[in-house]
Amino acid sequence: MDQLAQAFSALEEDRVYQIIDEYLAVPSDPLVIVNELSKGMEEVGRLFKEDEYALGELVYSGEIFKGAMDKVKPFLKEGDDKPLGKVIMGTVEGDIHDLGKNIVITLLECSGFQVIDLGVDVPASKFVDAVRETGADLVGMSLLLTTAMDSLRQAVKSLNDAGLRSRVKIMIGGAPTSERLKEDVGADFYGRDAIEALAITKRFFNQ
Amino acid sequence: MKAHERIAATVLLQCPDRVPLAPLLDHWAARYAGITNAVLMNDSEQRFNAVLKTAQDFRWDMTFLADTANVTLLKAGVPARIKLPGVDLPENSTHQFDEIGAMKDEDFDILERDGVLGLGTVLIPRIYPEMNIEQTLMDVDQAGKEITDQAIKLRAKGIEPAVGFVMPGPSFEYFCFARSVNKALLDIRKNPEKLKSAGKRFCEDILGLAILSSSQNAIQRVFIGLSRSSPVFLTSKHFEEFILPELDFLVHGLIDAHITPVFHCDTNWTKFLHYFKRFPKAKCIIELDSFTDIFKAKEVLKDHMAIMGDVPSTMLAEGSKGEVLDYCKRLIETIGKGGGFILSSGCSIPLNAKVDNVMAMTEAIEKWGWY
Repeated sequence: MDQLAQAFSALEEDRVYQIIDEYLAVPSDPLVIVNELSKGMEEVGRLFKEDEYALGELVYSGEIFKGAMDKVKPFLKEGDDKPLGKVIMGTVEGDIHDLGKNIVITLLECSGFQVIDLGVDVPASKFVDAVRETGADLVGMSLLLTTAMDSLRQAVKSLNDAGLRSRVKIMIGGAPTSERLKEDVGADFYGRDAIEALAITKRFFNQ
Repeated sequence: MKAHERIAATVLLQCPDRVPLAPLLDHWAARYAGITNAVLMNDSEQRFNAVLKTAQDFRWDMTFLADTANVTLLKAGVPARIKLPGVDLPENSTHQFDEIGAMKDEDFDILERDGVLGLGTVLIPRIYPEMNIEQTLMDVDQAGKEITDQAIKLRAKGIEPAVGFVMPGPSFEYFCFARSVNKALLDIRKNPEKLKSAGKRFCEDILGLAILSSSQNAIQRVFIGLSRSSPVFLTSKHFEEFILPELDFLVHGLIDAHITPVFHCDTNWTKFLHYFKRFPKAKCIIELDSFTDIFKAKEVLKDHMAIMGDVPSTMLAEGSKGEVLDYCKRLIETIGKGGGFILSSGCSIPLNAKVDNVMAMTEAIEKWGWY
């Protein structure tokens, strides 16, 4: 099945679907396909990190992954797609930009994590409620606007004030964010790009 | 030297008497002048007064007329639903765009056949049901007349207006707003020929509009938006295939009309800087927003085009005055060495920039900027 991971990382969409169709045409283990797709996605991440791929390739790989999983899902048994971890994602209050957030979500989902997407313009209280309701262990906060940095501070503070920081970690990302801002607001992780956000999540959940 | 002479010499890569100062101004003018953002965006006269006050108080050589906070121009030119302060957002927020993906697959044919105006006729009522193309065109015409008057008033005060037209950029930039970024990125894979043929028509029309506007308002510089065409989003292969041919067309068309293209580069363009060497020498300005390595830009483009930038917005908002002074001094001494440099903010001055930090740019220029 190496050919599937190779076709996936080369973004050969039709070839990916053809390999999956042929494999599923006879009784077989669908998890083999899921593992190969994950390997392919890891390779896409490596190529992005080495500057051979750009965001366009990440978006396209996410599209192919979804198409592939649509084919595989009917063959999975209960428990086969148990998530590796639960992550809350949202763009902070006052900011409606969602491009970066959505790419991170695609990568996390493709890598086996369950994502609770709170959307954009998310008030601090909604992050608090979501942590309480879902029991997620990691919260991703995204922003593009410099003016939204105060909302980020407020969101982190609200999780602190709610006494939830001992059970949840916070990663931040987006144009105005930095290691310095992470320290300043009291977050735990800073992801420079979507691939770093994925790496942080994998490390956090020991994957 | 007068401000306009200073800018002209810089574009020609000569040493003026000192480094010109021209931060990118939009919403911050409202905060500084004590009006709401809602007023700034909707009231042309108050917008101009705020711009003039800011540019005079901070002794700038050149200023944008807050074109990027002009509701009329934004609604007509950006094919995404704008969220406005005082309407959808608190009255002192910056506006934001909701990329609703108004442009459908079949609209590429409309663009190719009927041009930008034909596409606008379809998209504008889809984005803003209360609007129609006839009213939009009248509003834009009125806004154009106001800009012409404002440019005259600004020049009478010794300040040069920055650009006579804000071009969305190559068609891909426009499609990212009209289709959504994800769809436009997928179009490159799934609909490449249509992207090119419709894009060609887009560029022909937008170049015509840019030249017409600049001739009317006599501001011989045109802003070219470059954000989603950057190496953050596209590989070199796709940039060369989809973006460069259109940029060649636009840049040469503007230069032939004696207009200076101003490349407004958002995000990190470091990897693609060498492509800008293909454009005619001493005819363009590249404006960087602090994500591109401006020091690398000086290495690559120092004998080729003027560089403008790039005091980071986070530094203006959260840094100390000392940090801004130090950074400006470094820019003046390195990027300004030998001429060809305009000190500016990295993209717009953010709404939460500190007055002292904006003034630090002026103090740096007046202390260290003389040649």
